Amino acid sequence: MRYVTTIGEREYLIEILSDGQVAVDGVVYNVDFESLSGQPVHSLLVDNHSYEGSVYPVEEGWQVLLRGTLYMVQVEDEREKRLRASLGSGPADYGEYHLKAPMPGLIVAIPVNEGQEVAKGDVVVILESMKMQNELKSPRAGKIARLRIKPGDSVEQRATLLSVV
Amino acid sequence: MFNKVLIANRGEIAVRIIRACRELGMQTVAVYSEADRQALHVRLSDEAYYLGPAPARDSYLRGDKIIAIAMESGAGGIHPGYGFLAERADFAQACQDAGLVFIGPKPSSIAAMGDKAVARATVAASGVPVVPGTEGEGSLLDEELLSLAPKIGFPLLIKATAGGGGKGMREVQALDEMAGLLQAARREAEAAFGDGNVYLEKLVEGARHIEFQILADNHGNVVHLGERECSLQRRHQKLLEECPSPFVGDDDELRQLMGSVAVRAAQAVDYVNAGTIEFLVDKDKNFFFLEMNTRLQVEHPVTEIVTGFDIVKEQIRIARGRQMRHTQEDIQLSGWAIDCRINAEDPYNQFLPSTGIISHMILPTGPGVRVDTGVYPGFEISPYYDSLISKLIVSGETRGEAILRMRRALEEYKIIGVRTNIPFHQRLMDSHRFMGGQYDTRFVEERFSLEAAEEGKGSLEDIAAILATLVAHQQTQRAAHIIQRGERDTSNWKWVGRWERMHR
Repeated sequence: MRYVTTIGEREYLIEILSDGQVAVDGVVYNVDFESLSGQPVHSLLVDNHSYEGSVYPVEEGWQVLLRGTLYMVQVEDEREKRLRASLGSGPADYGEYHLKAPMPGLIVAIPVNEGQEVAKGDVVVILESMKMQNELKSPRAGKIARLRIKPGDSVEQRATLLSVV
Repeated sequence: MFNKVLIANRGEIAVRIIRACRELGMQTVAVYSEADRQALHVRLSDEAYYLGPAPARDSYLRGDKIIAIAMESGAGGIHPGYGFLAERADFAQACQDAGLVFIGPKPSSIAAMGDKAVARATVAASGVPVVPGTEGEGSLLDEELLSLAPKIGFPLLIKATAGGGGKGMREVQALDEMAGLLQAARREAEAAFGDGNVYLEKLVEGARHIEFQILADNHGNVVHLGERECSLQRRHQKLLEECPSPFVGDDDELRQLMGSVAVRAAQAVDYVNAGTIEFLVDKDKNFFFLEMNTRLQVEHPVTEIVTGFDIVKEQIRIARGRQMRHTQEDIQLSGWAIDCRINAEDPYNQFLPSTGIISHMILPTGPGVRVDTGVYPGFEISPYYDSLISKLIVSGETRGEAILRMRRALEEYKIIGVRTNIPFHQRLMDSHRFMGGQYDTRFVEERFSLEAAEEGKGSLEDIAAILATLVAHQQTQRAAHIIQRGERDTSNWKWVGRWERMHR
């Protein structure tokens, strides 16, 4: 399988060859890859250099935490990459955005009203969890739709709070 | 005297206190909420009693129930830890009235230091310098505060009278934004402490937050155990502490001067047991009294390492009426200690708290490493309590050795299941300004970035790319395998549609 893997501006063409070998931009490496005790922690030996990292799936791709640095990585096979190129824009810029509670907590305040126009970065909900008040911001400009909560509500993790259209 | 101690707390501090009791040969009684049946403090204690539902107001803040449990179990002493009931004069009084020993100061000292305005007035009267502000003026209305503000001068801070931990605190740069910030501060203070009163305080710029540990017994002896540097904070929450302070450093004259002022402040309220005097220190080494914490501090272990004292055991001995064995001359600082607070919060997503089950954990061990924690693999981090999951404390002969050891320990520490601020601490340990000890209370918020690699550290971007690709590849292979087997009874298209609707 051939993948186009992107970190920031940099693209890597990564081909998974036989077991134990990958080619990165045409350079072949011997790799040994193990998941540790069924967890998202992976041990990776690349030409006998040992690395350990955590890999989490997120909406925009994969987060790789490696020696105290977080890398945001997109992995696409070549077909997916062509598809995305023809669409031309990222998923955050079109369609509805559903703001979900990043953790369970208590709704302290909702500084916006239904139908109100918001800009990217505007605070739309204040959620209290672990004794801290956390400001949840709109990831893009749009209009507030379907407000499903009111101050004083308790919400579960990943509950949809409101939509930005 | 009591031989059984009830620990009115949870988490790492409850575990810490149980350990001290064990070493003193005392019996321990734990209390727990519905969320904490499986918590480590319950597992480690000799006896455990159910308190109530998960929210703190129904469990760990129920002083009446806790006192009843102490009576029932025959515990003669109550250790409150920090937070919850630790600085509630009415609770300390209720313990006393029930014939129990509250392992901490007298109710009158807690009351005197608990209202910050009263505290500042009290210590100022005994000649301890305080930061200019509306201390000792009682609860003022917004209009009064707005008219007093220009006299104090900007920038200034709005602080909650009943506050602590940065809640109900706002910084004001100019008069025109002050009214709105007052509202926000009052709202937050009301929510956190049930008291919306606030006061103003001049913001000391380039300030360092340096605090002194105090021990006082019932026989009139008061000593200080040197200072802790606590300037590394985010939103007024401490993140890292060290002992001694790199700012005080070799200036033993300053240390003894501040220490003697701290002792005087404690004596001003007739203080007994362990306490901490917090100072703000400006770049010219002028120092001002900030507040006194009338309890055991989260960061007490760094002082324990450098002085060789076990502060929690000292607390219990003092509460049992023992005279302190040490005089000020006996207390020497030796070596260096650093404490990183490991919080369940995502440093890459505005430090939002992270909840979930800790699925996997590897603790750092080896020379000079101490971990104080209340969690273990399989334990769930709930949203009901604060986000501190452990304290990683290292020691070294010098500050340099301690930093290198902390780097090593952070690299070993693996916590999977919740996000933690470990990467934040790793970055901090690489920061040149931190290494040089050149930081103040604004450093984290204003001059520190997770993204900016200050050192030309070799990037592992290519390794990250390989790792992500292998994981993605593995997932694709597995997904293909599942779909081929046709295990779902509906078409995959329908299934995907339902799945997406469910996640709206």
